[in-house]
Amino acid sequence: MGLKLNFNLDPRTKIIILAVLSFMVFNDASLYVSSILVLIPCICLFFSNHKKSAAIYVACYILAKLIQIYILPNATGFMAIVLITFSYTVSRMLPILMMGYYTISTTKVSEFIASMENSSIPRSIVIPVSVVFRYIPSLIEEIRSLTNAMKMRGFGLNVKSLKNPLKLIEFYMVPMLISAVKTADELSAASLTRGLSNPEPRTHLIEVELTKMDYTFLAITCIGFGIYAYNFLRGVLIA
Amino acid sequence: MSERLNVKDLITVGIFSVIIIVLIFIFGMLGYIPMVMLALPILAALICGIPYMLFLTRVSKFGMVTLLGVIIGIVMFLSGHTWVPIVTFTVCALIADIILKMGNYSSIKNSIISHGVFILGIMGNMLPFFILRDAYMSAMRASMGNDYVNVIAPYLQTNFLIVLIILTFIAGLISAYIGKIVLKKHFERAGIA
Repeated sequence: MGLKLNFNLDPRTKIIILAVLSFMVFNDASLYVSSILVLIPCICLFFSNHKKSAAIYVACYILAKLIQIYILPNATGFMAIVLITFSYTVSRMLPILMMGYYTISTTKVSEFIASMENSSIPRSIVIPVSVVFRYIPSLIEEIRSLTNAMKMRGFGLNVKSLKNPLKLIEFYMVPMLISAVKTADELSAASLTRGLSNPEPRTHLIEVELTKMDYTFLAITCIGFGIYAYNFLRGVLIA
Repeated sequence: MSERLNVKDLITVGIFSVIIIVLIFIFGMLGYIPMVMLALPILAALICGIPYMLFLTRVSKFGMVTLLGVIIGIVMFLSGHTWVPIVTFTVCALIADIILKMGNYSSIKNSIISHGVFILGIMGNMLPFFILRDAYMSAMRASMGNDYVNVIAPYLQTNFLIVLIILTFIAGLISAYIGKIVLKKHFERAGIA
């Protein structure tokens, strides 16, 4: 508990970083160009009590890069396709996925709504997006328990069930949708009780503002993206 | 009935966009097999009919379907697709909304056609492959290896894009029809449709 750093980024910062990172899917850059962008999710995760996932992320990324550099030139045939798929998925998608994981797991819904309303985004966009953030984890949990329930009935994810996919889809979809409709009703009742439908501007318990930390991170992201974009444009112009 | 969207509508939009996004992502996992990646819009169109038709039973105002498209586009953008899905999903959802409006939000024929149009928005995930074809191909040849490129190259033509759009539209119609049947079989009996 010695080093208790108050590390909390503004949701807007997280979203901007996420948006910048999503440019990385466009093309593949060498490590020294994209390293700043790659390290950002790692730093964020490390300082917000997700040390384990930060370590796994870095390990996966380094493994993928090593495979790309040392094994791929010599690999052939089917093995090559598997390795290529793995290494390029990891090296392109993983930073964005980890940033998304960080954004979703550390942002409270109230915090998110507060910061979005501060920057005057229309509420008809803010409310659905915050519902999306809130509902994705519980939907995944629901899918997991559906799988368990079907396993108990002898209809798990095996060869027999994959033989009639229509049934599989129906068995997953129908309970999922029924519970989704119920959740929608419950959530709207809860939010009506909290006065979400009041058209007056709302006050917030949580103070959100862009702190020094946010500006630092935005600046780092800009630098990283600048290097990346410069490299990309130069590559395009030469080619 | 008031024309403005109230909180309940907005929350319904949020919940259903989560379901559609998760379905698209689960099937997106199949995209790592080279051939399946190109058929991805068709698969997604086949699967999204049921939630969409259930969503339509809750829609009675202009703007909800458009909003669904915008939200899906934003989440696609945040999750590492490019910004193209925002544009395509918004445009397609707007057209779908207008089609629904012409049927006064109760015509079955119009809702089936509107799903066909709506799901075309998913082409936004594919469009970068076609627009940036040359840059993409050379990048891929360098990265993914010749085998992969040779399998995919013949399918990245403009003609194929048109065929893909038509097939996706048809798949959307079929799946909306299936969705209507499932709705009748399960949800109307449970009293939530």
